[in-house]
Amino acid sequence: MGKMDTNVKESLDHIRAATQELHGAISDAVAKRGGATKADLEALAQKAKGVAETAKGSISTQHDAAKKHLADAVTHLEATQKHVGESLKSSAQAFQTSIQKALADARASAQKVSEAVAAKRSAISAKTPK
Amino acid sequence: MRNYVAVVFNDTSKAYEGLHTLWQLDDDAEVTVHGTAVVHRDALGNFQVDTKETHPALATGVGVGVGALLGLLAGPAGAAVGAAGGAAIGAATGGMVGATADLARADTRDQAAGETGFVLGVGQSAVVADVSEDWTSPIDTRMGNLGGTVYRRAKSDMEDDVWFDDYYIPDSYLYPYEYIPSGYSL
Repeated sequence: MGKMDTNVKESLDHIRAATQELHGAISDAVAKRGGATKADLEALAQKAKGVAETAKGSISTQHDAAKKHLADAVTHLEATQKHVGESLKSSAQAFQTSIQKALADARASAQKVSEAVAAKRSAISAKTPK
Repeated sequence: MRNYVAVVFNDTSKAYEGLHTLWQLDDDAEVTVHGTAVVHRDALGNFQVDTKETHPALATGVGVGVGALLGLLAGPAGAAVGAAGGAAIGAATGGMVGATADLARADTRDQAAGETGFVLGVGQSAVVADVSEDWTSPIDTRMGNLGGTVYRRAKSDMEDDVWFDDYYIPDSYLYPYEYIPSGYSL
């Protein structure tokens, strides 16, 4: 495997780990319910923004089979950021609605990135001589 | 190929070993895991899904969702009883839920067993997973070594079921990483 392939692999794996961490952090905040602080939520919004930017910036470097999935993941990551931002401005019932939407979009983003990983692995496997 | 898998174990600790092994197979690029959950059926026949959710209503929602997924995994018999049964059970018992409690019914269980063989018995635990796999042997071999029994349905087959039942595959309740509750250790 050449250097370019290694970088692409590391990049996609890094993005996948970041979306998994984001989902984990949001689900922890949901489980805390009223215990999540403003600082917690601001950190989540920043994390979502950072992962979205990293994923968006890496689309062009990815395997063709993975690009569409990664683009979909970016859409969900941007929605995650938006919903976490809304949760910061709301209280009680509205907070729960926003944070649950953020969790659903974070889950969807992790799913799309893992689908990108699967597509890339399958494409590479198909090319590898048996 | 995109498949949904249930691996049934006779005890909970083995189920968590199975969960860990599944994610190891992902790390090794043998398969790609999109989501997992661990479910149990207790001595009274109640289903429980291990979830981070602490609110009873939301925990019930997770249970109903994963239960419905198990119902689909069991084949058309399980899909037919689907979410309605799970919703009723979930609402009645809080976090102890599962649409596939219907599979405890003899007629449904027999039909499901005839279709896929998947039934979660009393005292058993299962790892439920959404995976992409080019070969079935990595999961079958590693889970077999742990004493697990693997049941598998293609996502496309499950989509055919839900198409006729006007329902969706509730896989968003699966954790997209290896989630082990604090009460368990490997």
